[in-house]
Amino acid sequence: MGFRDIIAAEFRFTYADVFRRKITLVTFIAYPYILTILVLLIGYSLGSPTVFRERVGIDPMVFFILAGFTIMAIIGVGDDLLWRPLFDEWMGTLPYVMASPVPRIQHYIAIPLPRLILVLISGSTSIVPVLTYYYGLQGLVEGLLVMLLTGIAALFFTTIAILIMGIVYSLGGENWRIINIIRPLFLILVGAYYPRYLMPLTGQVISWLIPSSHVVEVIHRMISGLYSSPVDLLVLLGIATALFILYAPPGVKSIMYWEKTKMREGVRV
Amino acid sequence: MGVAIEARNLWKTYHTKKRKGLFRSETETVEALRGISFTIRHGEVVGLLGPNGAGKTTTVKILATLLLPDKGEAYIEGYDVVKEAMEVRKRIGLLLTVEKGFYGKLTGRENLEYFGALYGLGGERLRERINYLMRLLELDKLGATDKLFEEYSLGMKARLGLARALLKDPPVLLLDEPTLGLDPPSARKIRRLVRDLARQGKAILYTTHNMFEAEIVCDRILLINKGVIVVEGSPQELKARLPKLRSIDILLRNGSPEAVKKAIVEAGFQPTVETTPEGLVQVRVSVRSPEDVLGDLVRVLVGRGYDIVSLRISEPTLEDVFIYFSQSGG
Repeated sequence: MGFRDIIAAEFRFTYADVFRRKITLVTFIAYPYILTILVLLIGYSLGSPTVFRERVGIDPMVFFILAGFTIMAIIGVGDDLLWRPLFDEWMGTLPYVMASPVPRIQHYIAIPLPRLILVLISGSTSIVPVLTYYYGLQGLVEGLLVMLLTGIAALFFTTIAILIMGIVYSLGGENWRIINIIRPLFLILVGAYYPRYLMPLTGQVISWLIPSSHVVEVIHRMISGLYSSPVDLLVLLGIATALFILYAPPGVKSIMYWEKTKMREGVRV
Repeated sequence: MGVAIEARNLWKTYHTKKRKGLFRSETETVEALRGISFTIRHGEVVGLLGPNGAGKTTTVKILATLLLPDKGEAYIEGYDVVKEAMEVRKRIGLLLTVEKGFYGKLTGRENLEYFGALYGLGGERLRERINYLMRLLELDKLGATDKLFEEYSLGMKARLGLARALLKDPPVLLLDEPTLGLDPPSARKIRRLVRDLARQGKAILYTTHNMFEAEIVCDRILLINKGVIVVEGSPQELKARLPKLRSIDILLRNGSPEAVKKAIVEAGFQPTVETTPEGLVQVRVSVRSPEDVLGDLVRVLVGRGYDIVSLRISEPTLEDVFIYFSQSGG
């Protein structure tokens, strides 16, 4: 059984869903802009862009387009993984997925890839033109780098999302609703909207445990020039990689445990 | 032909919490299976027949590695469904409910491609297999191949479900009420196909409520009630085991039901007598061997001046068997 075939199957599944629901596609492209407009409308009524620039080091317009794009990629991966078991249960496909001999970890890694690639491509309609407009040729290069780093940040979110997915669904019953609480917390703690160094200490500690947050910090530092040497950024990427790997074994165990729990109570048909 | 499916003393109890007020809850216990055992050989269709809540779907789920038994063991082609679940999954084709189980925004073909990949198939082999199954189940003729699943009729859904079960050409099929709610042509198509698959050597566990269907599809029937197999055998064997369910049905033109009944009881029979909407008197006498008593019965009725309109001997149906054994508990 090829991992390639599983990925191909997931691509087919996601693209059929996205392209047959045009609103999803439109949302992909429009989301960073809609979010930026909303945030700036509120932000400009409360404070000045100059103060924002002084505190964060980036133009608010660039920052929020960046944040919208990054969040969409990271949370998209989280959503695909966290909601999939529930979706499969609603569709009645869960028994057939569970009764298939597919290696579970391969399947769950493949699940978020298609949407992630689509989101990354949509960066060419948001982050790349905006950075190019603001910073010229350097902005274009940075835009492409941001797309790459966002891809890494999102991929690094898979193992922690799998771990949470396994734990939440193992609790059984209606406990999947916890995802509704976890999701917005990640939205903040990943640090895309709210840079980590501005968070209170508790927030910083929790944020530090999320692999993607370190990659997001790399993106922020790179755009705002807040680093003394590239080694600073590589250290952050190293921490992110280590955390990503660290969450993999308990992630696999949590899926297995969830599956056992499901088999104990019986997969709903 | 070797044993393909084996269940040994399977037990399963469900515990469900029922909320009683804000903080209190009660645990409700339902014994779904109470020590069932059976075997199914390759080339055999075995029907699991029983009322709602009898334990049919629980049995299928355990064999499909979707549910852990509390006690007992089950094997698919020698592989333990609990300890060697992955090996079992490679060898089974599964159909649970016909109306659900596919992605609505994918076409029939795309759904089969998706599940084919999960079953370890890919490339040209998978495409050829899907084309073959589409033809076999006449989904191509129905124009369902490239139609979204959400636009499918129930008959198309059932056929697609069976196509998925056959996708990896498994030696064992677990079919849970595959014709439930289907139109007669679709149901007939599926029943015929199941028989053909058995001839090809597949072992098939087939659950149904439909007695007629069980009689024509299954080589052997396991009658399950309240988690216990109450009786087992071929449809003919089961009918033969009924003590007194062959009956003599007679229609009389004249006489009152009370007088007719009295006359027959005096002759030593125990009849049921009713008046039909047409005003005729219907007499039913259930006996083990109608041929032996038919002459005596006719003589009694004619001797009392009753005018016989029609007379026939009825064989018990599987429904009679089902009701008899379900009520008697075996």
